[in-house]
Amino acid sequence: MQKVLDLIIEKIIFICAIASIIFVILIFSFLFKEGLSFFKNYEVSKFIGGHFWYPSSDPASFGILSLIVGSVLVTLGACAIAVPIGIMTALFISEIVPKGARDVLKSLVELMAAIPSVVIGFVGMITLVPLVKSIFSLPTGLTAFSGSIMLAFMAIPTIVTISEDAIRSVPRHYKQGALALGATKWQTLRRIVLKAAMPGIIAAVMLGISRVIGETMAVMMITGNAAHIPHSIFEPVRTMTATIAAEMGETVRSGMHYKSLFAIGLVLFLITFLINFIADLFLGKNKNT
Amino acid sequence: MIKLNPKLSQKFSYTLLCLAAIFAIVPVLLMVFIIIKNGASAISWEFLSSMPKDGMRGGGILPAIIGTLSIVSCAIIVTLPIGVCAAIYLNEYAKDNIFTRIIKLAIVNLAGVPSVVYGLFGLGIFVMFLKLGVSIIAGALTLSIMELPVIITTAKSALNSVPYYFREASLSLGVSRWQTIRYVVLPNAIPGILTGAILSIARISGETAPILFTAVAFYVPHLPHSIFDQVMALPYHLYIISTQIPNMPKDVIYGTALVLLMMVLTMSCVAIFARIYFRKRRKW
Amino acid sequence: MVDKIKIENLSCYYNKKSVLESLNLNIVKNEILSVIGPANSGKTTFLRTLNRMNDFDVTYSRKGNVYLDGDNIFDIDAESLRRRVGMLFAMPIPLPMSIYDNITYAPKRLDLITKKSELDSIVERSLKDASLWDEVKDRLDSSAMNMSGGQQQRLCIARVLAINPEVILFDEPCSGLDPISTAKVEELMIDLKEKYTIVLVTNNVKQASRVSYTTAFFLMGKLIEIDQTGKLFISPKEKETEDYITGRFG
Repeated sequence: MQKVLDLIIEKIIFICAIASIIFVILIFSFLFKEGLSFFKNYEVSKFIGGHFWYPSSDPASFGILSLIVGSVLVTLGACAIAVPIGIMTALFISEIVPKGARDVLKSLVELMAAIPSVVIGFVGMITLVPLVKSIFSLPTGLTAFSGSIMLAFMAIPTIVTISEDAIRSVPRHYKQGALALGATKWQTLRRIVLKAAMPGIIAAVMLGISRVIGETMAVMMITGNAAHIPHSIFEPVRTMTATIAAEMGETVRSGMHYKSLFAIGLVLFLITFLINFIADLFLGKNKNT
Repeated sequence: MIKLNPKLSQKFSYTLLCLAAIFAIVPVLLMVFIIIKNGASAISWEFLSSMPKDGMRGGGILPAIIGTLSIVSCAIIVTLPIGVCAAIYLNEYAKDNIFTRIIKLAIVNLAGVPSVVYGLFGLGIFVMFLKLGVSIIAGALTLSIMELPVIITTAKSALNSVPYYFREASLSLGVSRWQTIRYVVLPNAIPGILTGAILSIARISGETAPILFTAVAFYVPHLPHSIFDQVMALPYHLYIISTQIPNMPKDVIYGTALVLLMMVLTMSCVAIFARIYFRKRRKW
Repeated sequence: MVDKIKIENLSCYYNKKSVLESLNLNIVKNEILSVIGPANSGKTTFLRTLNRMNDFDVTYSRKGNVYLDGDNIFDIDAESLRRRVGMLFAMPIPLPMSIYDNITYAPKRLDLITKKSELDSIVERSLKDASLWDEVKDRLDSSAMNMSGGQQQRLCIARVLAINPEVILFDEPCSGLDPISTAKVEELMIDLKEKYTIVLVTNNVKQASRVSYTTAFFLMGKLIEIDQTGKLFISPKEKETEDYITGRFG
């Protein structure tokens, strides 16, 4: 009796384990199904390479190039801020501050990660946006630049946490060897520790990028949502995620516009899939050393 | 280029690192401060316990609070058992083979899917295909899939922190594998699993994009009667009152943001303190 | 002299690399067999094969047979085998629960005993047999993790006794203990052989000579010599045995 019960439970456990695979396949196939029926009526090259996103005019135009450029611009901007600050903060927390303060700082970073993106978007909207507008005397403060700054604060916790783990998992004797040879602590940190932790840090950066590129609410509130190809970072842009979130409510279910949003979702899914896959490779590499 | 004295360059670099940390952390503290300072005056019992009035410009945010709580609690009820079971499989039963690697890859990818794509998926499968409509349950199921990888990862590391020799001691007495997990491993992993769960609850309470097309409505004049009702939700409410409604009194927006922020931060703090407490008390 | 366990042509491998080669050995009922030998001689592998604890190691494989009272242990269910063949580890491993719960853990799981009075009597009997009762009878509800190392090891013995095994395997049970605790555990083993058959793997040659009836000497995965303990220590037949017990290597 007990044996039979054990066996049933073990089967249930196994089914739960494959649930993740099922969900990934389901997500992909749903996006793919809707995307495919969109691409039957609209060429892939016109979709990816088209400059104009006029989904509800007649004839409609579904070019997402400006949305891709928007996403990439905001992401690059956020990375330019978050990557150096994130890595330096990770170094600071893991190597410089005393142990007690380290735990407090790590908890603080973890709390930062929990702040909802609408809240970040809202604060950005009322503080940063007018500031950007007046400092750079722009017609509007809702720009890719403002979006990048706010998104950087969402990427920093991810980058700090994962890089800090990588830095701390560098074997102690690497450091002691260098210090014994008369290198200063900073030289050791820069030349030995940073190098050894590099795969983990790269993974941290990748995961940070993946978080930024998939971020929706804050960008929608701050970047201005203008679907055109920007000439500089101080212009409004519209990202892929914001497009989906803003327009899904207005679409006719199963219409072309509806399907085109799934097609954007598919593009996003593939991009993040690739980034996470690469990050995972680097994380695996970090564990082996 | 001038070659700097190594001691001097160390001092310079440390200052730089410290500045970076300040730059990373202080603005966020400032954000929290701004919300508390401007939102505190809006908070009152009436604000927390009554329905919105005057096209959201007055009254309270009760339906949004209730909505968020019901979506989130449904989501965690669904995702916690599945996630813990999957973690048990990976940590206790899985052999190192291709199949296990595929499961792990799937989990990594679920963790990376953008939240708005989960929203699309939830709309496609739960709202349209399974005909659940825009409802608490559709939103909760969407969030539960999104949170699954986080639950699996934290539960797995909680299980992994229970030393292997406890399992050996139990197995050597003739106790079966599942019974060993049930009576030796799980009781010792529960604190870790629960803190992970609380952190997840905090995180999904603040999510907007996944419930945007699956669960929420702009305004619902009554509290939800069943899990098949549309609801208001705090993060979405904050989004609409801060972007869609003209002449919105600022303190109501700040107040809403403060309630949401406090909800999320309190839960996260509880989880973090619980984790510290249990780690200190751990006997092995 | 009845043989409790018969081992026929047993070979064991990790990752296809041989660690134990065609072992033939009989273990006498109600006696203590000591297995001595330097590190990596296959002693622990041998022991963990007897109650199939090695089944969990995916790199492990074996050939040959082991009979327990005539039953091939690889044909019977591993869990019922393990309750007939109990095991003690090198480090004492109390489960993170109270002393009382440590003892009743296996009876509750295996025999589904729930009656308090029955459990109480199991606890008392096992702790008495492990000569621990007098030391802990007033604090059965306190955590087993707070006991001393020697007490913990005797608690582990009591935990094994609670499931009434036929054979008890000791894997270097005193390696982490002080001399006084070691003496207590050794005394206990000698008492226990009245009811149980005991296999003791040890690094400590003197311990083997103190407690065991038969001693087997393993070297590099081979059984070099087995004899009555007295004979093996006074007049070993093989050169390697002599070198080892006189401390020339190992």
